[in-house]
Amino acid sequence: MPTKNHSYAELLELNSWIRKCSDTFFWLCTTRTVQESKLFPVNPYIALSYLNAWYRYPQLLRKLEEHMSAEDIGDRAREVTTYANAIANGIIPQFYLGGRQILIDMGMISPTDALDDVAYVLDFSRRLNLSYHRNHAHILASDANQRMQLLPERVVQVFEADAFPVKPGDRLHTAVVKFLAQISQYAFLSHAECRLGIHNSGPYMVGENSEMLVRDFVDLAEGDLPWLDGVASAVSYNNLTIPVILKDTHFHIVDDWASFEATPAYDHANMAAVGVYTSDYLSGGYLPVAMDSPDTLAEFLENEREVLRKATSDLWKVMATWSRDQLIDAGLLVYYNVPKDLFHIAGIYEQEDWFTVEERAQRFKPLMNDEYGRDLIAELVGYISLSSQQGNEYVMSKYSMARGDMWSTIPYSVLSDDEFTTSVGQIRGGSTSLPAKAGLYTTTKGKLTQEQANAEAKKLDCLVFEDKYRFLDDEWMKLHPNDPRAQELYLYSQRNSRTLKGKGASLLRGDFISPEDK
Amino acid sequence: MGQPNTNDSKWGKKAMTPTVEFYHNRIRELVAERFASSGKPWNDAVVDPNLEFTKADFEKIEAELLATGYRFEMSAQISQQEEPDKYKSLVGVQDSGNRERDEEGREVVGTGDNVFNAKANVIGTARMISNVEIVMEMLINGVPDGTIAIIDDSGGTLTAPILEGFAGVVCMGGTVRSHLGILTREYGVPCLMAAELDGLNDGDTIEVEFARQGEQANGGDSNSRRRIWKIEEIGGK
Repeated sequence: MPTKNHSYAELLELNSWIRKCSDTFFWLCTTRTVQESKLFPVNPYIALSYLNAWYRYPQLLRKLEEHMSAEDIGDRAREVTTYANAIANGIIPQFYLGGRQILIDMGMISPTDALDDVAYVLDFSRRLNLSYHRNHAHILASDANQRMQLLPERVVQVFEADAFPVKPGDRLHTAVVKFLAQISQYAFLSHAECRLGIHNSGPYMVGENSEMLVRDFVDLAEGDLPWLDGVASAVSYNNLTIPVILKDTHFHIVDDWASFEATPAYDHANMAAVGVYTSDYLSGGYLPVAMDSPDTLAEFLENEREVLRKATSDLWKVMATWSRDQLIDAGLLVYYNVPKDLFHIAGIYEQEDWFTVEERAQRFKPLMNDEYGRDLIAELVGYISLSSQQGNEYVMSKYSMARGDMWSTIPYSVLSDDEFTTSVGQIRGGSTSLPAKAGLYTTTKGKLTQEQANAEAKKLDCLVFEDKYRFLDDEWMKLHPNDPRAQELYLYSQRNSRTLKGKGASLLRGDFISPEDK
Repeated sequence: MGQPNTNDSKWGKKAMTPTVEFYHNRIRELVAERFASSGKPWNDAVVDPNLEFTKADFEKIEAELLATGYRFEMSAQISQQEEPDKYKSLVGVQDSGNRERDEEGREVVGTGDNVFNAKANVIGTARMISNVEIVMEMLINGVPDGTIAIIDDSGGTLTAPILEGFAGVVCMGGTVRSHLGILTREYGVPCLMAAELDGLNDGDTIEVEFARQGEQANGGDSNSRRRIWKIEEIGGK
């Protein structure tokens, strides 16, 4: 009997999303190289993370939506910086489809298998990304010509107004430059050689010759990553957001992996103003960090840089003693757990859901030597050369002109025959070779246990998440700047601002910048 | 109902690489055998736990490949360290014996893509930074002044605790967009990526063309490769 769970219209939409994912992932992968590391077996862990995603995402994401919808979570994620950001949200369907494609190519499943699971995970990820990217009304940065304007005016205004002017050679400029290098280094190491700890969004136009890039660094402190227990005990904040305003610089690419390229190339010498904020799933917005004066901010960055430098050194010493299986598990789990902060937002985060490897993924480890891992990932996402990826002899793929596409679509035959299955079934436990999480979770409400953090998230009640305000976007604001609700929204976002507190909704740039900066 | 996806896919083809071709082909064969002997329709067979592959099945497939004499190329140091019999030996920097000389007669021992245009070229001692032990030694004792790290790893983690101490970096892989390229740019450590080296030895004194007059930052966009000159061979030659 054909499927009764899915309509033709739904499958058309889902296959379009699958193909968009294929095309964007291909562009992203081939503008880099196959990533290798002497420390981490990167490609074996990437392949295994895809498989873990395939077996686990359907059940976990369904559980999530029993508590909070993808759209609600996307709205909340957009107001703060967490791991639930553009790169992580956008990559959920990619990793899941990667696991599916590997198994299809091995002949272990067919494109019509786990139909209900595939449809659900894809639909969830599409709704999540639509909601998260609502402000620019695209689903991905690549749809906006590699641009990612996530934030409404009320937030960007505060970032600009509160940013401290800097110039090369002054204390704050020097502190920021050195801090950015150290935190980038730390983020790559803490995330097992992947870029998922680093995020950029924007740019936003700031006057005629300047643009603002919002630079984020996530999962820095003792928290979800169990290997940060102890070594990151002195790290002050779990997530940091650093809006930087660069003069005479155009960010022509801020892509789906939250990486940027600029013309001319990003040069710290062009940094004209900067601020620092923290936020998380409990903060309900951005909180300024040491933003009382340029000196207090410089002092914080100088001190925190030393903290991160020590944490980098200590963490490296720990990782240098790990077994291959531990190194693989760390990277595998960082990749696989890209949806984890959605569960923090909903208040149902369980460490075991995101830091164990399901037995059906574990069994593939004997295959995952360095060469197979490297070549599998290269063929899967770069060359599009796997047998299962090939189309007919007339096919010309979007970017590559290849005869095939990265991810197989769902055959429409499921609407007319019974050759399909519905699900991969229930999660069958999991294990890891890494030490278990033992420490607390660093949040903007202090260091909490998992249960405390979940309870705080569930009771989080802030104005921007209320239905009365949630749907008041910039398109509405255009015609309602004097509406009391607009005033309340702006006052909420300005509540911690050094310069804009209490200014309200009618504010324009010219009201708070000096004439010479216009 | 037949098996929907096997070796006889209408538009299928061989994989590009030997391990993918061997593994996937072998798994497909075993799936077909298991499916045929089960007597079940595909929809039932694919979800039947009794027909699932196990870790032992995959170990057997790996053993079959290794039994042919095939050995894997390594990427992470730990892989060869834990299972040396499965991996090929590392190949260091080759020496063709036929190196180019520049317009001033200097011996060119390599070229690479510049991550950013530095203020000046760097002269220093080439040190092969290829394993955890060397990094640990430099972490404990400090990075010697004037060290130009020769790295065959485009990642940013092997050298994480000591990267800032290098006078320059030459990486034999990746691109200017790789993690190591991103980090050296942030630290302001001059760096060549995707370097091709010939006859460079650990301990040689070299000059690296990190600066070129008239070029702005992001030298990786330049079409021309930057050069590495050997100034003095280790041992004083």
